[in-house]
Amino acid sequence: MSILSRFRSFVYSCIGLGRSKAFSTVAQMDAFEKVLAGNKAYAQHTAKKDPELMKSLAAGQSPEILWIGCADSRIPETTICQCKPGELFVHRNIANVLTPGDANSSSVIEYSVGVLKVKRIIVCGHTKCGGANAAMGDGDLGDTLNSWLAPVRELRRKHIDELSKLPSEDAKANRLAELNVEHSLEILRKNPTVQKAIRERDLKLHGMIYDIPAAELRSMDIPEPKQLWSPPTLHR
Amino acid sequence: MDAPPANEKRISRFLEQSHERIFDNNKKWVEEMKIDDPEFFDKLASGQSPEYLYIGCSDSRIPANQIMGLGPGDVFIHRNIANLVPNTDLSAMSVINYAVRHLHVKHIIVCGHYGCGGIAAAMTPADLGILNPWLRNIRDVYRLHEAELDEITDEKEKNNRLVELNVFEQARNVIKLAAIQQSYAENHYPIVHGWVFDLHDGLLKDLKVDFEKELAGIQKIYNLTK
Repeated sequence: MSILSRFRSFVYSCIGLGRSKAFSTVAQMDAFEKVLAGNKAYAQHTAKKDPELMKSLAAGQSPEILWIGCADSRIPETTICQCKPGELFVHRNIANVLTPGDANSSSVIEYSVGVLKVKRIIVCGHTKCGGANAAMGDGDLGDTLNSWLAPVRELRRKHIDELSKLPSEDAKANRLAELNVEHSLEILRKNPTVQKAIRERDLKLHGMIYDIPAAELRSMDIPEPKQLWSPPTLHR
Repeated sequence: MDAPPANEKRISRFLEQSHERIFDNNKKWVEEMKIDDPEFFDKLASGQSPEYLYIGCSDSRIPANQIMGLGPGDVFIHRNIANLVPNTDLSAMSVINYAVRHLHVKHIIVCGHYGCGGIAAAMTPADLGILNPWLRNIRDVYRLHEAELDEITDEKEKNNRLVELNVFEQARNVIKLAAIQQSYAENHYPIVHGWVFDLHDGLLKDLKVDFEKELAGIQKIYNLTK
């Protein structure tokens, strides 16, 4: 057993949270306070293992990577990549959707690329994605989620010929998740701050798919789109 | 993380390595998890039923799962600049809506952190372009608590108190939502919490948001249960 998995088992036993244990005492605070106990274990472990890291983290952050991923509970980015605190700047929303008019993701991109000057952006979609799955169907998800997933349903419409040839619902949703990552990268490439960073300091963009059953990250090969609009000031 | 090599030519190689490292790390992690539980990923593939929704800052120093000692499948996560929940933001609204109405989470945590860059940026008198509307939400929190914050003379202390007050106000913003009010009336969950993470010692501080009191307080104006 590695140190990490030993630590994980320790934390789990410490906070009494089996991964599938039913949560019976909803209104009671016990189970909740156990999460705070889990945090105490984390703090002690980190302080012991890497006291210097703690000190440098308190001084500031300089992450190299902006991670844009799904809110899905099964993809804790820092854990699945075994990264240290400080390495990934993170934005997670439903189905890792990016739209140019979204103030939330636009602010994350502006701050991480423009201010923190990350060197790479990873957009990570995943298999078994509830959002992609819902977007493959016509179910009414309520006004909020219908609006949010409209761009993904639009992708389905655009690529319906390709999608309809796929053998299973699973395969269709997985392909739609890929198309969605591709589309998000296109949105990023249209962002003036991202364009400037690509031009001036070679910012790199990557599309990835995380396969939940295999727990593996797969890098997607996405060709750069041509003839994107960019502000004339960028070319001066 | 190792410091990047000074030599310009080696930098791109360094970056390649730092990128490849993620894939190597991912493979190592899969092996470790399978030692603990060979069927772990098959179980995950069958679906998610997290107990928690965590709304936190995008800051790289606060890996949500790790600071709570939680594993894959345990917590649904939204992270943005300064852990805001603006009421017109479709992204945050969608996350909360899905977590409450579809996943039936039992706890919603709004987690800020001392030394937050977003809070500091909002306290800077400067035009930050597209960041203005987002940071404006933080300035509004200041205005709501102007008397208290004006009393604090130390700049750092003032920002840290604003971090706490921002968590309170964002927790209130969560409680104001129809999905939360209706679910709580019916099921007695979710409960909304406010936390602050301290980068100096890695500890979470529970701000002890009194959920029932806050709910009753906002419902005079924001009652959306019917």
